[in-house]
Amino acid sequence: MARLTLAERLYRLLLRCYPGEFRDDYEREMLLAFRDRLAHDRGIGMGAILRLWWQLFADSVVRAPGEHLDVLRQDLRYAFRSLRRAPIFAFTAIATLALGVGANTAIFSVVHAVALRPLPYETADRLVRIWEKNDSLAIDGFAVSLPNYLSWRERLRTMEVAAWRGGSVTLRATGDPIRVASVAIGVDYFRMLGAQPVLGRAFLPSDEAAGAERVALIRDSLWRSYFGGDSRVIGTAVTIAGESHTIVGVIPENSVPMTAEFYTPLRIDPAAEMRDNHTASVIGLLRPGVSFEQARQEIDAIARQLEAEFPASNKGWGIDMSTVYDWIVPEETRRALFVLLGAVGCVLLIACANVANLMLARAASRKREIAVRMAIGAARRRLVRQVLTEGVLLAILGGTAGILLAYWSVPVLRQWLPATLPRGDEAAVSAPVLFFSLGVCLTTGLAFAVFPAMASSGGDVIRSLKDGTRGSSTAATRSRQVLAAAQVALATILLVGAGLLVQSLRHLQRVDLGFEPGGITTAMMGLPPDRYSKPGAGWSFYDRLLKRIAASPGVQSVAMSSGAPFGGGNTGMPINAVGDTHLGSASLQSDWRMVSPDYFRAMRIPLLKGRYFTPSTSGEDDTALIVSAEMARRVWGDTDPIGRQIKAGPNGVFTVVGVVGNVRNLDLALTPAPTMYLSTTKFLFPSMTVIVRAPESAQPAVAMRAALRELDPQLALFNVRQMENLISQSAAQPRLNASLVALFAVVAALLAAIGIYGVLAYLVSQRTQEIGIRMALGAGRPALMRLFLARGLWLALGGLIVGVIGSVAVGRWVGSMLFEMRARDPWTIGAAVVTVAAVALVASYIPARRATRVDPLIALRSE
Amino acid sequence: MSRDLDTEIHALLPLAPAFLHILIALGNGERHGYSIMQDVADRTGGRVRMSPGTLYGSIKRMLADGLIEELTTGAAGADERRRYYRTTRFGRRVAAAEAERLSSLLTQAHESGLLPRRA
Repeated sequence: MARLTLAERLYRLLLRCYPGEFRDDYEREMLLAFRDRLAHDRGIGMGAILRLWWQLFADSVVRAPGEHLDVLRQDLRYAFRSLRRAPIFAFTAIATLALGVGANTAIFSVVHAVALRPLPYETADRLVRIWEKNDSLAIDGFAVSLPNYLSWRERLRTMEVAAWRGGSVTLRATGDPIRVASVAIGVDYFRMLGAQPVLGRAFLPSDEAAGAERVALIRDSLWRSYFGGDSRVIGTAVTIAGESHTIVGVIPENSVPMTAEFYTPLRIDPAAEMRDNHTASVIGLLRPGVSFEQARQEIDAIARQLEAEFPASNKGWGIDMSTVYDWIVPEETRRALFVLLGAVGCVLLIACANVANLMLARAASRKREIAVRMAIGAARRRLVRQVLTEGVLLAILGGTAGILLAYWSVPVLRQWLPATLPRGDEAAVSAPVLFFSLGVCLTTGLAFAVFPAMASSGGDVIRSLKDGTRGSSTAATRSRQVLAAAQVALATILLVGAGLLVQSLRHLQRVDLGFEPGGITTAMMGLPPDRYSKPGAGWSFYDRLLKRIAASPGVQSVAMSSGAPFGGGNTGMPINAVGDTHLGSASLQSDWRMVSPDYFRAMRIPLLKGRYFTPSTSGEDDTALIVSAEMARRVWGDTDPIGRQIKAGPNGVFTVVGVVGNVRNLDLALTPAPTMYLSTTKFLFPSMTVIVRAPESAQPAVAMRAALRELDPQLALFNVRQMENLISQSAAQPRLNASLVALFAVVAALLAAIGIYGVLAYLVSQRTQEIGIRMALGAGRPALMRLFLARGLWLALGGLIVGVIGSVAVGRWVGSMLFEMRARDPWTIGAAVVTVAAVALVASYIPARRATRVDPLIALRSE
Repeated sequence: MSRDLDTEIHALLPLAPAFLHILIALGNGERHGYSIMQDVADRTGGRVRMSPGTLYGSIKRMLADGLIEELTTGAAGADERRRYYRTTRFGRRVAAAEAERLSSLLTQAHESGLLPRRA
């Protein structure tokens, strides 16, 4: 066309909105029509010209997208048809992608629920959690002393603080008494979190005054289960520990990071509290515009002031502070989840590489078809786009199947999640998760179609037509080999990771607990102080209870403790030794528990020296102490600790009467801390744990309940649990990670095997002629077999090398999750390499065998 | 008229107004794009002025549907730079069917009193 005027150029710019094919067909015509029309409209006047331009503009906004849709529809129809013609290819690709996308969606739904969603509190981004710490005693994340809290509250300018102290109460209002977790809480707490009661009111500042009416809030779940969801609950009086409390409000579920169901205002009597008694938890709310660091600096400064003012109680005590988010979703949890996400992402990458490989193989076999279409004038960009459309279509089909898979598997996955995983029970295929999966689908669709698209457009038409069926560009072959090697590398990394995690889990499960968990059932209970206030009344009740349970048929032994191992409720305090010790004047932080005389026998904790506590109440064991071997070693070294003394608390002096084996009380992965035991004949907690060793057939829970009912029908048992369940919960996160990563590794190895198989099978089919010639020239079948097996291994070798390097690099990331394992464990890496090599060998064997079955005559005629 | 052809024709009805305009414009011989636009504008007294996008978008679809065809050899007195189109037999039938449909609609409108009865 001759030189264009400005208007024509402008119109051509507008025409850019149309798809290329359309422009190829009609751009010239449209420009001509535009020229004529413009000439005509100029004759009419300015109005007509404006109307023309308005029409042209509307065309490019309304018509052009329609044309694009039209092209897309054609491409999709073509892609559908070509997939229907290759059902095996389509099924394999879709199933592979469904697996990859489904697993990713499922894992991402958990990651999203736990680690990515914001906390459901209005002020979440300004909330912090505050602990006390003492570096010289190696204590961190410790409870706060209430007098210190009061001082903070008075002096802090950058934030508000609220303290709470947990416990449990027996409620007696409507029906049977029930035991519920309770919290005495700072009156500002609910306001600080922005939690609005669903019924009634929250606490008022006046509620914490000493003489104020006693009020309480209950949680929605308790309101529904115990009070039948009746709105008349407001104003109801309930008796707690002999005191009447009026219920003034109902707090919605999940509005505060607490599971307690019963809340009373925390009333602090400064005269009665000791500054060295650390008993409370504290949350802080940064004032608007205050940064975490500013608040931290201020509270650190206050802690130093208090240290100077109260050296006797506060020497060495400082502040630990973290955001509430980091407290609720700890970094280790997040890391464990992201390791899972990384592993499942590897599976997806392998799946993509596999589909890309399949598409490349298909593109190679369709080379002639493509060349023919190009020869009769199909635009190259259209061919490329068709391959991409096919990829995206596969991704959408596979992705839809994958999302359905995830939809069904997420509820199953939820059951597997450790109970300790915060918010794990809220995992679901929600809108953001779907959005993620959609993104994954489209990205993968484009990613695995890019290779084949490049390969299909890069070829030389004439040569492809001349080449006949054999022609596959070397670029395509090379990209297939690179893809197979990448699959091998990723599979190796996953196998190494799985090997490490599985071994670490086995170490964890085989760890020596220090007691025998089999057959132990624990349950918690408490005595109301109003009815058991007389000295000795508590133990005398428990003593009768334990004896009565022990008399039940099938029960082997019964004991009691202030906290069973893995049951929470750990307590610790600094102690000082009396006389000549390894400690000198330093303190040692020691865990402590109150145990009944039969505790060690029932738990089968070995007595190493001295004696157990006696059941006598004559006061014999009032100051007696049994210590763990670790504590004895740390304080007295090799010298006999029996008869030695320690100081604990304000003025307690205790004498060691026995040494027992070390016990893992808290966590399988933590080495046992120094522990000391006091006798329940003298000391009792408001809540105690009853421990029964009995076979399941003896129904220990029933026996405990029956015995308790006979002695005091008003008391309730709660938290009845099997010790073995408690322990397995402690290993739940490592178990989840190990089993899922192992599962992903197996899937990865299988997919990689398919990848290698595909490349080699293609190679064999391409080289049929060459094989025929070799055989005709006298090459033996074993030699051919070796040739192709070596080829397969050679292919795997590159992947293996990259995989080993990769797994060493990733090891640093996984290292902190391992228990008694090095991340760079040569045996694990070696085993993974051997496994992958074996898989590669097996995958190569099938096509290699096919090569040896080639009939030279047929092969040579095959052209 | 065979049954298949009948279904094929009726699958295309009602015809887009632009399609019908183009078919009418090509009713008495082949035309190039601008000439179609011009004819439509003349016949409608300038009320219908097709844009090039509407015209060629319609032409593309009508070619695909077999309503019109492109002339391979130049038409009589043709401008060589341009492409010429004409209706196919099928296109004529479809146009006739559409015209019949509209006419019966018109009759119904008269009968219902929506339009004044014809004299």
